[in-house]
Amino acid sequence: MFIHYLDLSWRSFKRTPLVSFLMVLAIAIGIGITMTSLSVYHMMSADPIPEKSSQLYSVQLQTMDDGSTWWTEDNMPLQLTYQDAENLLNAPTSEKKVAMMRTGFSVYLDSDKIKPFIGSARMTTPDFFSMFDLSFLYGGAWSKEQENSAAPVVVITQEINDKLFAGKNSVGELIYLDDASYQVAGVINHWPLNIKYYDLNNGAFNQVEELFMPFSLIKAKELVSWGNSNGWKHENTPTFADKLQSEQVWIQFWAELNTLEQKQAYQNYLLAYMQEQQKRGRFNRKELEYKLRDVNQWMQYNNVVTEDNKILVGLSFMFLGVCLANILGLLLAKFLRRAPEVGVRRALGASKRQIFLQHLVEVAMLGFIGGMLGIVLAQLGLMGVGQSYDYYENLATMDLTMLLSAPLIAITTCILAGLYPAWLVCKTNPAIYLKSQ
Amino acid sequence: MLQMNNVSKVYQTEMVQTHALRDFNLQVNEGEFIAVTGPSGSGKTTFLNIAGMLEPFNEGEYLLDGVNVGSLNDNQRADLRNQKIGFIFQGFNLIPDLNLYENIEVPLRYRGIKANERKRRIEQCLEQVGLASRAKHLPQQLSGGQQQRVAIARALAGEPRFLLADEPTGNLDSLMARQVMELLEQINRDGATIVMVTHDSELARRAPRNIQVVDGQLADFTLYQGAQTIKTASGV
Repeated sequence: MFIHYLDLSWRSFKRTPLVSFLMVLAIAIGIGITMTSLSVYHMMSADPIPEKSSQLYSVQLQTMDDGSTWWTEDNMPLQLTYQDAENLLNAPTSEKKVAMMRTGFSVYLDSDKIKPFIGSARMTTPDFFSMFDLSFLYGGAWSKEQENSAAPVVVITQEINDKLFAGKNSVGELIYLDDASYQVAGVINHWPLNIKYYDLNNGAFNQVEELFMPFSLIKAKELVSWGNSNGWKHENTPTFADKLQSEQVWIQFWAELNTLEQKQAYQNYLLAYMQEQQKRGRFNRKELEYKLRDVNQWMQYNNVVTEDNKILVGLSFMFLGVCLANILGLLLAKFLRRAPEVGVRRALGASKRQIFLQHLVEVAMLGFIGGMLGIVLAQLGLMGVGQSYDYYENLATMDLTMLLSAPLIAITTCILAGLYPAWLVCKTNPAIYLKSQ
Repeated sequence: MLQMNNVSKVYQTEMVQTHALRDFNLQVNEGEFIAVTGPSGSGKTTFLNIAGMLEPFNEGEYLLDGVNVGSLNDNQRADLRNQKIGFIFQGFNLIPDLNLYENIEVPLRYRGIKANERKRRIEQCLEQVGLASRAKHLPQQLSGGQQQRVAIARALAGEPRFLLADEPTGNLDSLMARQVMELLEQINRDGATIVMVTHDSELARRAPRNIQVVDGQLADFTLYQGAQTIKTASGV
């Protein structure tokens, strides 16, 4: 019977092409706009590393003395001081951990064929690549020894490798960063990251860095941060060594804690570390405080998806509601015009339920066609959004979930809009129309 | 076959209460051909709609083939209607988008009959009404008489035991009307029970039994048996 209802729906579509087209267009516009905003929202709020997002923790320590305040909701600084980061890195604990900072260099080769360009770099420790699930096209991460000795090595992205070495295996090659040469240790595969969750300082949706280098080079080369450096008290830091020993926070720190026991042990360690630091005159507070936030909690804490985004999604659904109200009106007119035919069908043995289902299948079909057209409109919308800002390029796409959701939302909302007209037409008294036809 | 005991139907609006049927009593036996006559507004069509379970009634009892219609829900009424009753309307009421074949197929689909059996029945019925070659035509491509024959074929396809016809010749010229009437008589001879509402007294006289409805009640009862006419009052 379902196939028969589909056939009847298609005939009905063809019988009133203009009204049907208007309804499909209304659904398509509503779905197009809704799916555009919903897709961006979906990409913004999607778990960037679902397989281990609950095992990666951003570490925050409350370094401020009692009485000082921070602008975050829980009064906690977002980053660590250099000395804390270094101490936590050197802690005799078994978990993987990384300290990192964003900086940048002028990049060039010993060749006149490649123009120098400014490249952004992440100074970090070798566990970074395995912790954040990066894979290598060539080579690999630098060794612990190279990390400890601040060796001049670099891991580059596939894109930079294409640009500098035409995609060849460049492991062992030299590239120049500012005034020094660095040996390529590895080339990572393309890393399509929509949300730069590991460092939200410079915008959550910025591109990932092009160069990855040993954290120890910060001290050796006196590298400055391209991110935020924040202080909470007056400190005189005329030299770089003073900054390294200061209470300024400018280092991001993550730990991979795979079990609850591991997490508990690390929490105990952090507490013990702060108590030990208290003895050295730091952490002047009654209550010691730290925070471990996993990837999703960290994104939420940093308001990656802003209220504006949520409001935009809400508004687009309201617009879809307006479209559906129009469809409801058109459906009412269309279905009630068909009441005489319904009367005949009822007289010939159709139950109210069968009439109701027939009309719901028809609105579902309208929803499906509208949904498909809506996907096309949403793609155009996303193209427009993608071109508005560079960082929207990755976000303004529809993944498979959204592609499947579009017709589903269209059909569901159309069925909701069609419930009343279908109910109205199935409960009309057939006797009235049989005589008057 | 059909028995109505003290059936009443009242149409109620805020201002007016109209008694379309009052204490209506009628028994129709298997194989009868009954013509129902009466002035406009007397309740003929209301009777037919109640008989066809297209309208509920307010009081009384209605038994169709032994089933108490008043106790059925909508789905059960639809099933009973689909299986036992065929309708023929004055305005033919063919669905304009469907060709003749598909129009006749409508009640069979609701009954859940399989495609090959539907095909057999439809072809047989179209043959019976002389329109086998027009199966793929749309209703608007036919004359009024032909459309009514399609409507009769549609009513017959479900092999109903009970045919309800509301002014089946009302929109036809006299030649077409005679052809349709002959077809109904043939169907009756084949075993179907027919109740036909008509204004046409000449047509009514061709039915073996006539009843007259006046002011929602059975007023007159006439039985034609060849040339002999037996007339009784109030169906007694």
